[in-house]
Amino acid sequence: MRYGMGPEVLRDVSFHLAPGSFHFLTGPSGAGKTSLLKLMFMASRPSRGLITMFGRDIATLPRDELPDLRRRVGVVFQEFRLLDHLTTYENVALPLKIQGRTEASYRADVRELLAWVGLGERMQARPPTLSGGEKQRAAIARAVVAQPDLLLADEPTGNVDPEMGKRLLRLFMELNRLGTSILIATHDQALVSEAGAPELVLKGGRLTVRG
Amino acid sequence: MAESDDTAPDLDAVSERKGLRALVNTLLVETRSVMPAAGATGLSLVLVIAAMCFLASLALGAALSVAHVTAGWTSDLSGAITIEVKQSNEMSSDEQVRAILYILSDTKGVKSARALTKEDVTALLEPWLGAGNVTDDLPLPHLIDVRIDANAPPDLIALSDAISMAAPGAVLDTHRQWQAQLLHAARAAEFLAYAVLLVVTATTIAIITFATRAGLSANREVVEVLHLTGARDKFIAAEVQRHFLHLGFRGGLIGLVLSVATFLLLGLQSGGTAGEPSLFMLPVSGLRLGDYPALIGVPVAAALVAVLTARITVMRTLHRLL
Ligand SMILES: Nc1ncnc2c1ncn2[C@@H]1O[C@H](COP(=O)(O)OP(=O)(O)O)[C@@H](O)[C@H]1O
Ligand SMILES: [Mg+2]
Repeated sequence: MRYGMGPEVLRDVSFHLAPGSFHFLTGPSGAGKTSLLKLMFMASRPSRGLITMFGRDIATLPRDELPDLRRRVGVVFQEFRLLDHLTTYENVALPLKIQGRTEASYRADVRELLAWVGLGERMQARPPTLSGGEKQRAAIARAVVAQPDLLLADEPTGNVDPEMGKRLLRLFMELNRLGTSILIATHDQALVSEAGAPELVLKGGRLTVRG
Repeated sequence: MAESDDTAPDLDAVSERKGLRALVNTLLVETRSVMPAAGATGLSLVLVIAAMCFLASLALGAALSVAHVTAGWTSDLSGAITIEVKQSNEMSSDEQVRAILYILSDTKGVKSARALTKEDVTALLEPWLGAGNVTDDLPLPHLIDVRIDANAPPDLIALSDAISMAAPGAVLDTHRQWQAQLLHAARAAEFLAYAVLLVVTATTIAIITFATRAGLSANREVVEVLHLTGARDKFIAAEVQRHFLHLGFRGGLIGLVLSVATFLLLGLQSGGTAGEPSLFMLPVSGLRLGDYPALIGVPVAAALVAVLTARITVMRTLHRLL
């Protein structure tokens, strides 16, 4: 893929994620990790090549079928992208609300998840008043709350201390155990070795698999 | 969303904490929508809608009271009118009379028409001119006596025009013609009021379209996050709509209250005896108790217009995004 008239950011990238698998996506800053994830959650379309998600070619997917596919994918954005005018609780509950569920059906679950990521006291706070680490945890909670089939996380431990990093990794592994495929973009080698999962390495627009 | 926690904000606490501004915000702008309330745009939009609804209510009220008044006038238009046929160089009197009778036979609201005979006319004039003084060489006008239907009177203006066209020199002579003219003016005023209503509606639609687009582009990030989280355009439209439903209804209520106050004030000023108060020279005290429910339709219509406009705009705008 390329941005506008720029050079091709991703060139020779071919891989398959099996359902229920756990992978890391590593590579130096600027290698195209975020760009690859963007393709996978359908925020941008590839300039060439084939991307198949859940058996559907997403380059030719009609616009009105995108929501159903996106609901199966949870995303932790590198810049979090929380909605500033909503409370932390509302942000985390958003995917469930979008799926049309009533608040009564998910209130307890959302509260429990927020408590688990250490945001139990900050539920009514708005994102601008959260610290970087708190925002990160809220973004992760939002991505996992609907138990998606695939979780894409872009540097999800970049803003938390190692202790919280380990805790979040356990959350991802727990989710993986329940059947969610996981792809975590990171340059945190400690995290990779801790999990011991296979690694997709991006470099110079090419992708190699390690482990 | 967190209904149990804060859908019913404690107004006292809010006003204590953040002052009047927050209170105004809570009452007028906050809509608990996933789409942001667009800050200051929210309040100014409420005020603009209030102004539009004020104008709309005034126009509707004026139209209604004019309708009542003219209904009264119309029922006064009863009985007979007379057409005077003066001699003309272009047609013979008999031809004139025949042409007029033909028109009258074809006019709705005319019950009967009869040309007065020379004897009838002489009988009418003799009391003034003296018996025997009405001689054959006196250029007597021909007169046509017309009985009209009081419940569905003819359009006298149009009739008068038609008659003088068909028979030059013929004049529709009625002491009620001034009333017909007034009726004409009143109808025009009624029409004008509805035209104002239409323009106000169109303006409101334009403003809301603009505000919706501005809101969407100011909240691009929110829209994108919602999309990426799997929201359909319908969901986003529903959230935006909710926003405009509240703003439209609140603005509408303010406008309604102001206009009702205006009508009551006008009614009060007349004091019942000192002549009717008037708006653009037309009486407006004609607003009856039964008309006020129609005015309540204005904020409802405002909310409806706001919602539909916002929905259509959102769906159109979003369709262009990925
Ligand atoms: N929106 C964009 N427009 C143009 N170029 C971009 C954009 N996003 C990323 N790039 C470029 O694409 C390359 C890969 O960026 P990115 O995917 O963010 O890398 P990483 O996440 O691995 O750090 C970089 O050279 C970056 O400058
Ligand atoms: Mg990146």
